[in-house]
Amino acid sequence: MSQKPKIAFFQCQWCLYSPADQNWVDTQLPSNIHLTKTPCTGRINPLYVLNAVQGGADGVMISGCMPEQCHFKTGNMAARRQLEEFNDFLNHIGYEKERVRFVWLDLQDRGIIQKQLAQFEQDLEVLGPAKNLITRTKIAEGGLNA
Amino acid sequence: MNLILEKHALPDLLQSWRGNYDVYLPQKMERFSHFMPLTDNSVLVTHEPHNTRISPKALFLPMTEALVKFTRFGGYEDAQQVIQPRIIFAIRPCDAQAVQLLDTSFIQEAYTDPLWLERREKTITVGLGCHEPCQTGFCTTVGYGPFNKADLDVLLTDMGDAYLVETLSKAGEDCFQGLPCASDEFVEQALIVQRNAHDQMPVAFETENLKEKLEQNFNSDYWETVSQSCLGCGVCTFLCPTCFCFDIVDETQRRERVRNWDTCMFRTYSLEASGHNPRPSKVERTRQRLSHKFVYWLDQVNQIGCTGCGRCVRYCPVGLDIRAMLRQAQTLPFEVSHAG
Amino acid sequence: MPDLDAIKTEVRRLLADGVVEVVVAFKPGDTPLHPQPAFFHSPEEVDSLVHNGLCQNNLATFLTHLPKTKKVGMVVRGCENRSVNALIVEKQKSRENLYLLGVPCEGIIDWRKIVEHVGEAVLAVHENSDEVTVETREGQFNLSRNELLHASCLRCAHRNPISADILIGEPLPEGDPNLARVAVEEFESLTNEERYAWFQKEAERCIRCYACREACPMCYCTECFVDHIEPRWTESGATPAGMQGWHIVRAFHQTGRCTDCGACERACPMDIKMTYLTEKLNNDMRKKYAFEVGLDIQTQPPFATVTLDDKNRFSV
Repeated sequence: MSQKPKIAFFQCQWCLYSPADQNWVDTQLPSNIHLTKTPCTGRINPLYVLNAVQGGADGVMISGCMPEQCHFKTGNMAARRQLEEFNDFLNHIGYEKERVRFVWLDLQDRGIIQKQLAQFEQDLEVLGPAKNLITRTKIAEGGLNA
Repeated sequence: MNLILEKHALPDLLQSWRGNYDVYLPQKMERFSHFMPLTDNSVLVTHEPHNTRISPKALFLPMTEALVKFTRFGGYEDAQQVIQPRIIFAIRPCDAQAVQLLDTSFIQEAYTDPLWLERREKTITVGLGCHEPCQTGFCTTVGYGPFNKADLDVLLTDMGDAYLVETLSKAGEDCFQGLPCASDEFVEQALIVQRNAHDQMPVAFETENLKEKLEQNFNSDYWETVSQSCLGCGVCTFLCPTCFCFDIVDETQRRERVRNWDTCMFRTYSLEASGHNPRPSKVERTRQRLSHKFVYWLDQVNQIGCTGCGRCVRYCPVGLDIRAMLRQAQTLPFEVSHAG
Repeated sequence: MPDLDAIKTEVRRLLADGVVEVVVAFKPGDTPLHPQPAFFHSPEEVDSLVHNGLCQNNLATFLTHLPKTKKVGMVVRGCENRSVNALIVEKQKSRENLYLLGVPCEGIIDWRKIVEHVGEAVLAVHENSDEVTVETREGQFNLSRNELLHASCLRCAHRNPISADILIGEPLPEGDPNLARVAVEEFESLTNEERYAWFQKEAERCIRCYACREACPMCYCTECFVDHIEPRWTESGATPAGMQGWHIVRAFHQTGRCTDCGACERACPMDIKMTYLTEKLNNDMRKKYAFEVGLDIQTQPPFATVTLDDKNRFSV
């Protein structure tokens, strides 16, 4: 792959417990990674993921807090149920399951996110660019393939 | 001019047009037919005794089309659509009539829709009359017929092994150059087919005084009765060849301003920015749909805004039937007005 | 087949005794292929009530069209009963304001398949448990009922209404609950590319009339995500992204709520298949959370609840 894979990165703003990590994400993220910070993983509507996928992301990474450590008590638990199912569902219609990855971070985790992103990027390079579901394309004349 | 076209010569003729035109013809798509561009292995579908599922209005007013593209720094440019000259083959007379009706709203003195006009000017329509009556259609009831010639450049009549080709314009004549002339006898037979087809269409409802009845019963319980099983989807209006409402939307993700089909049957159609909705329920929306076709069109251009293609009847998910609705409307009370 | 007279008698009684204000059922349409949902307010109107295999709508969808406090009677089949239950779980109606007349269902006949077999000019349709007799202008045709059934009905596991106030007719043997799973697994055995190609082919016919949404009893939001202008959740037009987005999200919003009645597919004017999407989600809900929609009126769908037991479910 000549170009680096495009990654949409959704992050719960509470999940990086070390200020250094958060600082790195906020300021030093490589340009092929698009960061969207949310108040909680529970705020990540599956439609956000879909939008990233349709817009041409080669992979989507979601990072959030471990169970029982959610800033809003159960936001991450709700998100886990939904987003995991959504990933399964996208897979059902042909989007590779490996292109969506979850990282659940613990209180003592330091410097994990950088490694995870690097690993994800490597794995995506092996998979190659995403082909299915990238649909923000030209409108056909007459609608309905006419 | 009346010509004969043998059916076995048709595929070659269609292919010969491809050099100069985009040719659209009804082809099989899943369990129905749909106007699609002619390719090397296209198969024409005309045996169905009814229309294509989506009306050919989609070829003049696409479901979605880009009008303007935004550029990065606050500017915009034309969407620059390229519209090729084209032939629509085997369009049914009701659908062609509908396109002509739509001209009255897209081509006006005050404003002419440039995209509509361009598509209209670059299109040659080859109509195929309906020799078999269709079950849900009611073209004769609303004043048209299975061999209506409005807005056609050519009208074909299916005569078994061959078509009778009636050319109705210069452009149509050019497309069918070199075909043998039809004998008087053949034309005579075709006329019988046409008359038979016309006579086989039953009168679905009376149109006399219909406008006054609908108008005067604007607040009647009738609307409640006919709309209560309506789901509020857009099947009837989206498949309708004379429904032309559209909605202009800025697609920020695509950086385009697009025009989409819209329908008065949706809640959001009449929803105002304040939150007020002048047509809050399906009662008002159903009234709008029927009244537009059978009252307002008559007010505006003195023609019924329905060509009786029967798509809304056929595909309504709850089996609502506009013919039955209007039959019921005919039982409503009304007063003859002497004002005008 | 259900005893029509028994249904009518019961509906008449409900209306005459004032048990309910309105009964939702079907009446004959203009053509024999399309019976229409109808609202019966007085016992006299009930003569025209019909109930047969061609009644293709899920009547539960009309429940949210009516005022919440209105006392409603409804003739329900297995799927409709479960949809009603799911609506009660979501507090769209209370059970006290409902009277359900249960009718065991032998499956819904797809009118398009009849037309495919015998053509347009249908004059009358008669049916029994095995055979459908269609009278047309060309003559009489006997068709096998199973061949005409809708796909969802062929794999239906709950043919009997489960919580009706009165059951009219003898309960039928229940269907095989594995059929739904098998259908999903069959689809999943295809490769990613094949599955995507299938999805693409189905979704691209969409004209965005939202008949699927309106026909679905569980789609009762006053404002749908596609109606939003700001934020724009998905493209509004008939573009590939818009059409696929609609189909993905419409189905996903049904997770743990869909009863697989197939009303969406039957309403679609473009014959788009949709239940292969919702069936997958239903299957997952059964597998992961042992949840089946509409079996009672208390259990919340999986996405509406969380438990800490979940934490062992996820390895990463």
